[in-house]
Amino acid sequence: MTLNDIKPGCECRIVDVNLDGATGQRLMDMGFMPGTKVKIVRNAPLVDPVEFLLRGYHVGIRHHEAKGVEVEEL
Amino acid sequence: MKEIIVAVAGQPNSGKSTIFNMLTGARQHVANYPGVTVEKKIGSYSYQGDTVTLVDLPGTYSLTSYSQEERVARDFLLHEKPAVVLDIVDATNLERNLYLTFQLDEMGIPLVVALNMMDVAEGRGMKIDTYKLSELLGATVVSTVGKKSRGGEKLKDAILNTYKEDGLQTGYGVACMGCSACLGMSREKGSFRVDYGEELESILMPLEKRLSEDPKISARYPARWLAVKLMENDSEARRLVQKVEES
Repeated sequence: MTLNDIKPGCECRIVDVNLDGATGQRLMDMGFMPGTKVKIVRNAPLVDPVEFLLRGYHVGIRHHEAKGVEVEEL
Repeated sequence: MKEIIVAVAGQPNSGKSTIFNMLTGARQHVANYPGVTVEKKIGSYSYQGDTVTLVDLPGTYSLTSYSQEERVARDFLLHEKPAVVLDIVDATNLERNLYLTFQLDEMGIPLVVALNMMDVAEGRGMKIDTYKLSELLGATVVSTVGKKSRGGEKLKDAILNTYKEDGLQTGYGVACMGCSACLGMSREKGSFRVDYGEELESILMPLEKRLSEDPKISARYPARWLAVKLMENDSEARRLVQKVEES
């Protein structure tokens, strides 16, 4: 299951970040690490981006990036 | 009269340029979206007879070598060797911001931390123990509100004091090699150290030792920082080592 499969309002926990290079590094720099709790806030009206709440701050990323983050539902 | 070079670093939208303007009286362009400062900008002020030159670095979440901004910021810190780094931290977003703080601290350059946007943080009911934070980081921590020009004098004071204190010590780099007192986060000023756990430290510590024993490398780069970057397989760090070996 990936971060992209979770519905707005639900929470999950990151299991793995399966992204290479700059994108994976950037997500990790921003706190997308295994064990981190993430809440899905909402989707943008025109699909991208999707808004998350983690570590006390809000961040918007693209759906295809969210697909690279493996999670488990809480 | 001396000229003290201070690098202003921090994550995007943490208020680096606002603090830069507050300290120097400049009118650097500031907007309420991240990524406004792409190149480094320079300004200065006089304080107690010394001239302090501030270099406003681009905002970065980290100090890898993946993006242009990160390379600009990192190259400046590594090669220009500023006397002090002023790290602007968004107090409302401490956890994410401290990641960069740790990396700056690991580079071994004397550090001053500005907890910016403290008014917003307090408005959200957040309480930050600046004394404890200062103790853990081994750096002076100053609360600021850049937008309302609060905390400027204290910052100028902290920068000058940090500069002077460092002059009394040996300065660049961390010499201690994994004695028991250094495990976890060291509390002594200027010897900050993150314990990455047994699994990683068993690789890191021998690597750090080897790097610090190489006179050419240890004269140029902080061994601990370089060891961490090499373990991350950072291409730029590998290049730095190769270049030193060839010279």
